[in-house]
Amino acid sequence: MQALTPNNAVKLDAKISPAAPAQSGASVQWAVVNDMQIATAFASAEVEQARKKVLGVTDVSCFPRYGFKGPQAAQWAADHELAIPSSPNSWTLSDQKSLVLRLGGSEFVLEDQMGGVACEKLSSISARVAGVYKVPRADAAFILSGSAVLNLFAELCSLDLRPSALLANDVIMTQVAGISAIVIRQTHNGEPVYRIWCDGTYGAYMWETLIEIAVELGGGAVGLASYQH
Amino acid sequence: MKLLTCPMNGSRPLSEFIFGGEYRDAPDQKTCSDSEWAAYVHNRSGAPGDKKEWWYHSPSGTWFIAERNTLSDKVSRTYLLSANTNSTQEQAK
Amino acid sequence: MSLRTTKQNGEWLDRTKKINFTFEGEAFTAFEGDTISSALWAAGQKVLGRSFKYHRARGVLSLANHDVNILVTDGIDTNMRADVVLVKDGMVLNAVNTIGGVKKDKNSYIDSISPLLPVGFYYKAFHTPRRFFPFWEKVIRKAAGLGIVNFDYPRILKRKLHTHCDVLVIGAGPTGLTAACVAAEAGLEVTIVDENQQAGGSLGYDRSGNVAMASQLTDLLAKVAGYSNITMITGAYAAGYYPDHLIPIVAANGITKVRAKTVIVASGAFEQPPVFRYNDLPGVMLGSAAQRLIYRYGVKPFNNGVVVTANDYGYRVALDLLAAGTKVVAVVDLRAEASPMAAEVTKRGVKVYPGHCVYEALASSDKSGVRGAIICAYDEQKNVAITAKKITLECDGIAMSAGWAPAGALLYQAGTAMQFDYAVQQFVPSRIPDGIFAAGKVNGIFELEQRINDAKRAANEALRYLGLSAPEVVTERHVGASPSHAYPMVPHDKGKNFVDFDEDIQIKDFVNAAKEGFDNIELMKRFTTVGMGPSQGKHSNMNAIRILAKIRNLPVEKIGTTTSRPFFHPTPIGHLGGRGFHSHRLTSLHQWHAEHGAVFTDIGAWKRAAYYPTVGQTKEDAIQTEAMAVRQTAGIIDGSSFGKIEVHGPDAAEFLERFFTGVYATQKVGSCRYVMLLDESGVIVDDGIASRLADDLFYLSVGTSNAAAVYREMQRSQQMWQLDLGLVNVTGAFGAINIAGPAAREILATLTDLDLSYESFPISSVRESIVAGVEARLIRVAFVSDVGYELHIPMVQVPQVWQALLDAGKKHGIRPFGSDTQRLLRLEMGHAMPGVDTDGLTNPFEIGAEWALKMSKSYFIGQRSLQILAKKPLRKRLVAFALAENFKGEMPMDCNLVLEGREILGRVTSIGYSKFIDRCIGLAFVTPAKTAIGAQFQIRTDNGSSVTATVVKTPFLKN
Repeated sequence: MQALTPNNAVKLDAKISPAAPAQSGASVQWAVVNDMQIATAFASAEVEQARKKVLGVTDVSCFPRYGFKGPQAAQWAADHELAIPSSPNSWTLSDQKSLVLRLGGSEFVLEDQMGGVACEKLSSISARVAGVYKVPRADAAFILSGSAVLNLFAELCSLDLRPSALLANDVIMTQVAGISAIVIRQTHNGEPVYRIWCDGTYGAYMWETLIEIAVELGGGAVGLASYQH
Repeated sequence: MKLLTCPMNGSRPLSEFIFGGEYRDAPDQKTCSDSEWAAYVHNRSGAPGDKKEWWYHSPSGTWFIAERNTLSDKVSRTYLLSANTNSTQEQAK
Repeated sequence: MSLRTTKQNGEWLDRTKKINFTFEGEAFTAFEGDTISSALWAAGQKVLGRSFKYHRARGVLSLANHDVNILVTDGIDTNMRADVVLVKDGMVLNAVNTIGGVKKDKNSYIDSISPLLPVGFYYKAFHTPRRFFPFWEKVIRKAAGLGIVNFDYPRILKRKLHTHCDVLVIGAGPTGLTAACVAAEAGLEVTIVDENQQAGGSLGYDRSGNVAMASQLTDLLAKVAGYSNITMITGAYAAGYYPDHLIPIVAANGITKVRAKTVIVASGAFEQPPVFRYNDLPGVMLGSAAQRLIYRYGVKPFNNGVVVTANDYGYRVALDLLAAGTKVVAVVDLRAEASPMAAEVTKRGVKVYPGHCVYEALASSDKSGVRGAIICAYDEQKNVAITAKKITLECDGIAMSAGWAPAGALLYQAGTAMQFDYAVQQFVPSRIPDGIFAAGKVNGIFELEQRINDAKRAANEALRYLGLSAPEVVTERHVGASPSHAYPMVPHDKGKNFVDFDEDIQIKDFVNAAKEGFDNIELMKRFTTVGMGPSQGKHSNMNAIRILAKIRNLPVEKIGTTTSRPFFHPTPIGHLGGRGFHSHRLTSLHQWHAEHGAVFTDIGAWKRAAYYPTVGQTKEDAIQTEAMAVRQTAGIIDGSSFGKIEVHGPDAAEFLERFFTGVYATQKVGSCRYVMLLDESGVIVDDGIASRLADDLFYLSVGTSNAAAVYREMQRSQQMWQLDLGLVNVTGAFGAINIAGPAAREILATLTDLDLSYESFPISSVRESIVAGVEARLIRVAFVSDVGYELHIPMVQVPQVWQALLDAGKKHGIRPFGSDTQRLLRLEMGHAMPGVDTDGLTNPFEIGAEWALKMSKSYFIGQRSLQILAKKPLRKRLVAFALAENFKGEMPMDCNLVLEGREILGRVTSIGYSKFIDRCIGLAFVTPAKTAIGAQFQIRTDNGSSVTATVVKTPFLKN
């Protein structure tokens, strides 16, 4: 991981996380991960660990993503040895390191977790196939952790997201803070977390909103570095 | 806030939906008279009763049909337009 | 003299914690757990507030969040309800609605002129002569309203939360607690909400002197506490019923919207005051208020009291008063028939007067309290006092028990049909919507054992509603004496017998209103204002209905009730506002724009750079400077907010043919065509560009503000047409930069290997290539300039290309321009913009867009309507116009009218000064007679002057 100079000027030569405009501050550490400038730390490791336990918000927009849809999308995924969820609006892990979300019946979003390479593999396929349409992804993506995460959702989302209602492999497309978003529960390095994706152009707004509430609830911003080992 | 059942995504608050107007069958535009067409375009029946309506679930981009009684505001069922009757999904209640 | 009793079993006080506060400048002490009213009452302070209209002295009435004459301010919040707000150490409190304090309110003179101020007087009195109205308006405005808003109010965030449960129980009295236990036992998630600080309801204070009642409550609460699946919320009220069981619960710190699968309403009943002269004096209070004072706060209501009752409940109150050490002078019972409970109080030495009423309460010399009660016989048939033999009882307080009104607001809001049950003289639910259940007093069940049984019935019905099996429980309807009296009203020649304490409304006011013709309950409410005060009729509506029924000689159920709407209780605006979410979309260049001084404008959800003023530059100067750069060298604009949609698949061209007005089947790969979307009536919705990237791939770009709606309509059409294609909305995934101006091609050429010659990359064509190292779709457009390229690139890579263009164009003097400048530039080009130059009725013929219509196609949306419209004469048409050279008059604005005499010919849709052309130019709708080049018409400006405009050709640039 390559550390960048710690200043907050706009870097025009690198892709920047869509949430970055809301992440200014002298203490923010940046790095380029997967070709995108992302915040790796917002505070000391101890502070971030404490936040994580209560309510940590981490920008993971830099995870590679690949989207496709169409009547033949499921077959195409199978042809490329991608494990896909068998039912609509659910998710699964493919090859341990790639999250596969099934949005409705015939749209898929693949997201490589740390070390995953599935997106790169699929991106390299240039042949267009009948009934499969590539969906370019430009999501802002976040991990929410900690004991107070449901208190945050209670303010931002009108749905019941408790584990009793949001089952382990459910994918829900709903509104969070008034904008369309995808929400799942996941286990990340053994920790139960929630994930949110929204259109990247709403990324700064979503970050601001999540952080405002997280701070009020005793948590706050956590850099990507805390998920990188 | 009212709940509405999206055939793809289940029961959701009304704020996630956009109303798309009444679902109506258009007359054949090649054979209908001007006044028949004008009536189709401009006239709506405001009388309360059972209506078929277009609804759009915004977060997922799903258009579907809801059969709603506009007097009681009860939705009897919702289904995708493309689906034929044997695969329609009944609204829970 | 202190009225504090010894510690009561179950009291809400912590007597180890003393609190000091001031009220109207006087120091008081209290215990933790005291409300403001209970602390003041304990200290012997009787006048706690002044009434709204007549400024009469008022004390404790309900002690149940309805003492609306006792509103206090701590200087920050106003209109705090002293009867329920907990007193805190250091509070500095003052009563609202007084001039000079509660004890010597200077406005109390209004009481003595009250005969001059009958109900509805202000509707009539102040309108003639009209010249005096401004004077009266000032007086009325000063008198109206309660409390003073503190404009330095701190911003205190009130969160709005969502929670979910299986069963929501409203009311934590014995009924609600029992119902909760039944549901919890079945394994359901239960939430109970109660507006009181502690659970228990009447079980906590209605004891008829029996200490054992306290332990019954303790046992019930212990049972509830044993269920981990019960969530208890106290100090918060269920504020309304919204469809599908959504109940907002309002607490001091915010609103929680509870979505329940089923709701059990066990909200109880409000005690209703009997009506007699001076029933409002401090010291005259509801029986339940006296009980609350005793058992919650350890305060004697008075030392020497009279109980006036019209039900058996008054006898229970008398026993509680005796237990608290109050001497009970007498129980005065409106009912002629002796109560079975009379013997019990008689045994305790209390005299009972059956068939008697309190004719009037006697005020102490300073009108701050009660010194006695005049009682006499009461004719229950005629509802009149028989004043032949009056008896004066000396006392310092009167407890009143006359009956109840159901706390049925939420039931009404949910659509429950109610009927009047004569056995209990109360409206009870007769038909309740699915999933809602009522139990206890609100259901007309009053005996404690029956209420508990009713709770089990309701809870089991709720279980069955949720699909669980549960036994059928039957509740017996009420038998014996009614808990409510049919007409607990005592007329008095001199009036001051109050029905509504909020607005000081007396019996005669209703009689007068009916005489004036306002004899329907809804009309009477508006004319008398009964039930329109802060308590919203919780203590007055039922009596008002009874009075109106009597006036009209109709049964009560024929009168009906007024409509109940959310919120059930006044709720602060800050609670309703909550955090406030203002979602917005940013392009990946947002930070760059901000750092370069952009002024942002909201377009749809987007924040767009409108223009970039240099230091000291006006908006107009900035826009003209940016526009000149585009005309003379080059400019670039961030167009990332444009709607961008891909249509993939074998049927992509067929889809466009049906969806838009033009021809796409024959469109060559690599070319672009104009698209126009109509609705079924032929009205223009939006327009844009379709670029054909492959036989089976079109790339659409449309305007910013309509993008989401256009995509949505495409999805709907595809649902209907079921073509072999896929729609992909790439609005957020792709950004766009438009580089325009004479130097645009030369600048762009330095960043790409693509052949940009006009021959190989002509106008209206699209190419895919690498620009500044980034894969881009290049579209040659002529929207703002004859030479212009739209570069569509992945959103995250837009800054890279943007900077490269700026660097490459530096020597040409390239500069960024904003969306306001873009508006001017496209006007100079003569392009009409949907939504700006068209409205919800504009068809393509009216903007001269016949060229964009392929009427011979077999179908497109709106085609059939255009066929009809084409046969009709045009009524208006958009023309381009210019004002005179060197025009110096008042500049017309968008939407100014085009007039001929008094006739409206049309309106201006866009107008602006173009420095490049050095003319004021614009677009306007005019009648067909005014469309010829050179025709002149008049525009009326905002200041009323008339400006001559001349029709010219477009583009303006070539004029």
